[in-house]
Amino acid sequence: MAFNIFNRNRQKSNPELAKSLKEVLQRYISEEKANPKTEEELSRSLTQMKTVLQGTTELEVSPDQQHGLISALLQEDVLLYLAKSIHRLPFESRKDTQVIMSSAFRFKPPNSPDLDPIAINWVVKRRPEIITALCYGYDRKESAMPCGGVLREALKHEVVAAIVLYDEPNPDGKPLDLANINLDAPVSGNGVFWNFFDWIDKGAFEVSADAFNTFRELLTKHKGLVARYLQANFDSFFAKYNKTLVQSESYVTKRQSIKLLGEILLDRSNYNIMTKYVDIGEHLKIIMRLLKDDRKMINYEGFHVFKKVFVANPNKSMEVQKILIGNRDKLLKFLPAFLQDRQDDDQFMDEKSFLIRQIELLPPAPMLTQQPVARNY
Amino acid sequence: MADNYQVLEELDGSFGVVYKAIEKSTGELVAIKHIDLEGSGDDLAEIQQEISVLSTCKSPYVTQYKASFVKGVKLWIVMEYLGGGSCLDLLKPGSFSEAHIAIICRELLLGLDYLHHTGKIHRDIKAANTLLSQDGRVKIADFGVAAQLTNIKSQRMTFVGTPFWMAPEVIQENGYDFKADIWSLGITAMEMANGAPPNAETHPMKVLFLIPKAPAPRLEGSKWSKDFKDFIASCLIKDPDRRATAKELLRHRFIQRAGRTETLRELILRKEQFDTSEDEHETHRRYYEETMQNISPREDQDEWVFDTLKPSTVKMPVNKHTTKRRKLARIPSGGNDISEALLERLNINETPLGTLSASPAVRKVRKVSTASRRSSFATAIRQPSGSTPTARRVSDNRRASGQKQPLGLDMSFGNSPSTVRQFRRVSGEKEHGQPGPLSRSNSVIHVGDGNTPIHEDAGVQDENAPLMPVDAHPPPATKEALLGRRAFSKIIDPALQETYAQTGSQTKREALSKVANAWSALDRVDPEGEYLLLKMMLERVSGDARLATALGIQFTHQSPVKNTPAPAVREVSSIPPSTPSRRDSGAPDTPTKTKLVLAQNNPHLKSHHRRRQSAFVGGAVDRDLAAAAHYAGFDEKKLPGHVQPGMEHAGLLADVLYGRWMEGLKSRWPLS
Repeated sequence: MAFNIFNRNRQKSNPELAKSLKEVLQRYISEEKANPKTEEELSRSLTQMKTVLQGTTELEVSPDQQHGLISALLQEDVLLYLAKSIHRLPFESRKDTQVIMSSAFRFKPPNSPDLDPIAINWVVKRRPEIITALCYGYDRKESAMPCGGVLREALKHEVVAAIVLYDEPNPDGKPLDLANINLDAPVSGNGVFWNFFDWIDKGAFEVSADAFNTFRELLTKHKGLVARYLQANFDSFFAKYNKTLVQSESYVTKRQSIKLLGEILLDRSNYNIMTKYVDIGEHLKIIMRLLKDDRKMINYEGFHVFKKVFVANPNKSMEVQKILIGNRDKLLKFLPAFLQDRQDDDQFMDEKSFLIRQIELLPPAPMLTQQPVARNY
Repeated sequence: MADNYQVLEELDGSFGVVYKAIEKSTGELVAIKHIDLEGSGDDLAEIQQEISVLSTCKSPYVTQYKASFVKGVKLWIVMEYLGGGSCLDLLKPGSFSEAHIAIICRELLLGLDYLHHTGKIHRDIKAANTLLSQDGRVKIADFGVAAQLTNIKSQRMTFVGTPFWMAPEVIQENGYDFKADIWSLGITAMEMANGAPPNAETHPMKVLFLIPKAPAPRLEGSKWSKDFKDFIASCLIKDPDRRATAKELLRHRFIQRAGRTETLRELILRKEQFDTSEDEHETHRRYYEETMQNISPREDQDEWVFDTLKPSTVKMPVNKHTTKRRKLARIPSGGNDISEALLERLNINETPLGTLSASPAVRKVRKVSTASRRSSFATAIRQPSGSTPTARRVSDNRRASGQKQPLGLDMSFGNSPSTVRQFRRVSGEKEHGQPGPLSRSNSVIHVGDGNTPIHEDAGVQDENAPLMPVDAHPPPATKEALLGRRAFSKIIDPALQETYAQTGSQTKREALSKVANAWSALDRVDPEGEYLLLKMMLERVSGDARLATALGIQFTHQSPVKNTPAPAVREVSSIPPSTPSRRDSGAPDTPTKTKLVLAQNNPHLKSHHRRRQSAFVGGAVDRDLAAAAHYAGFDEKKLPGHVQPGMEHAGLLADVLYGRWMEGLKSRWPLS
């Protein structure tokens, strides 16, 4: 038999590799106490797959081999297993798993480079829960970073972002019906996306940082989708965003989320969101308080939101005008000394003087000079 | 989290501020690196990157990451404690023997093999980043610039590392991979053999030129074996494709013959003895002190008025007279803080909101909080031991190196954070509007690292008459004056210091320091005139074909040039010409009254337009403008009066480097 000639222990075929990984993975997870033998077998199996998919510094990869292995992994439904059990794997195996899954989500068959990667297609058609399982990787420190890495790879595809954004709890185990999502209907706020706020605010530093990266990716990459989502979920999203992130106790969360807020609002595709956001006086108050925070970088990030969206915005609501005008004297007294040590930052200095000018030019009393922006709640 | 650690004394780390501490739950010794996030410029992403690289490393040859958390505005990174010190420290008593080097190289190769195998490039291998445990185990440290490759085959383009140790392909930027670390390892081996890396006596900027051009360095001398020389030669092959991998080098005879790591304890012992004999200098231990961040620094009775707000929801402004709620921060003592404190007073007076009505205690608190923040800029400066034991310099070296301008590279290699990192947006590196004598006294220490401090008389003058001139004159009001100040602090002063450091002869040095003094007097008295003077000089140089070519400035007949830094070139002709050399003496009779109108081609104006549009306009045009604006700004550094003979290449090099930094910048901030 070919058994001895080909030394099958070394050179398993792709389907065999996938099958044996699934088998050993199930065994490993079912074992109460970690069995070093199973663990060893599992790590070896994952390392082997990683080598097939990624090569080594000495070994080139073969696209046919990659294709074969990824098809086999999908066939055996191994990706879902991996996503769900990554936190239980040994240290190096977690990283190997990240490489395997990321490569799978990146891989396009050499003969059809224009199509979506086969693994993405498969996720969309059959297993959207792989994506949500990856998100829930943020629940644990062990799985946060590998899951985050895979997730960001997958999120390059709009449809994956839609899975995360429009996910809803499904007690009956029915997966999300992607074809029939109403993109303009508000979501319940209980889907996996809404957990990101807590992962960012409450997680350990590494978890929080990684979750934030994914969150940013999610909200900035696929602009059309996100604009519709924010439009549909405007109130709930910004209420949560302002409360949990912008006003977070954690310095890092606070600083990063103010910056991201600026990025979101200033994106051209989010123009309607921006006008809606700046119409609300409560938002202006939050931002103005940031200017008086006792941490300079918070002031600085807050300034960028304040300047562009509130002051330089031609269509100011009565509410916003009232606050600005009511504080005009204070602002004019406050701003010249604001972050004075940024003398070398020409851009900042210019913007500050521009801002001061704009505030000086405010009318003495609020008035409806501009066409009020349509507010479609 | 922080409660779990009992923080002990400060360690002599080559990266940031590192404390030794005890992990209470285990009793284990750990090293804790503190990073001041407030001081870390624009992006936290870089720091997160470091953590994520660190936390995915688990190898006996790499310093073990344990945890990280944020406390206030500081990030604490907990690492395993390595008591043996860095190889750079261990080199202080003298260079290593071949046997020791072989062991260290083997351990480094094992570490590199692990990193490369898991898709990481360290990018800053050098003796300073090689740590030893008390029992002689060798570990790779400092992942500040390490990169994680998504795909093991892909290449990096970014320009990072420390000049002397950089591989040619990194400098040339045509893509590099793991092999770059092997080159650095070769240089590190030479560093351990000779006590310094090759070209150590050359200016770092020149080195960047040299490495790609010159033949690869080789180990010379009969005291080294053939194997060792061959090992170095295999690491230092300029073509990365032909350079060996870590795995291959582990099979090299030099490595195969290497002994056990316990032998390295000899080096640690030698260093300990060396330290004891040197102990007249008395190493002053600096202990960790908690910085009180929960002070509200703005004594500002002006809370915003949001009249629709219910009073209960307004955060009540802290009553300016109650001081009991504020914890008093410790006030730094010691000589070099006097100037800072003085400066602080100045700052407060200037700040309209720095209410004079505030009680003295409040003012003191305020002073300290800013003073300690400013002092973080001085972190790069090695504090002479024994001074200011209480002043905690908590900051991170990336800050210090980040703020350095390309020409301001640290001359000292090794322990000071001379690692080149990507360019970052200029931010508040000067905490005050007048970069007058004070900021200079800072940089004096900086350049004088290890040498005699320069501008001695200037320094004395600073101490004796601190701030008087600045106090007497109102802060610079015009744009020209601000530019003048900026030119002084960013170009003239550093250029003078650098030239000074490179000048050997005593008489020449004296002459130079006179010029420096005179110029700083001019800067104090008349920054506007200073600016005009500079502009005039530049204008004239660019009008002289031969000089212009020699200095690498584009030659022009009166017409505005793309590279010309000064705004309003056209207007210049309206200013009565005068001989620049006479003005050098600091005569305050320069035409300060001349107001300049910003010309259309003024880069500042351009960038201003760009900024205003940037919210809506995207794409390449915008970027080009940005690049152009930055370019113009940068060229100020090439002011003709200060390009010294022998440094002509610097202008050219600076251009090349700047281009790279811009690339990095663009990729990081595609559009504001």
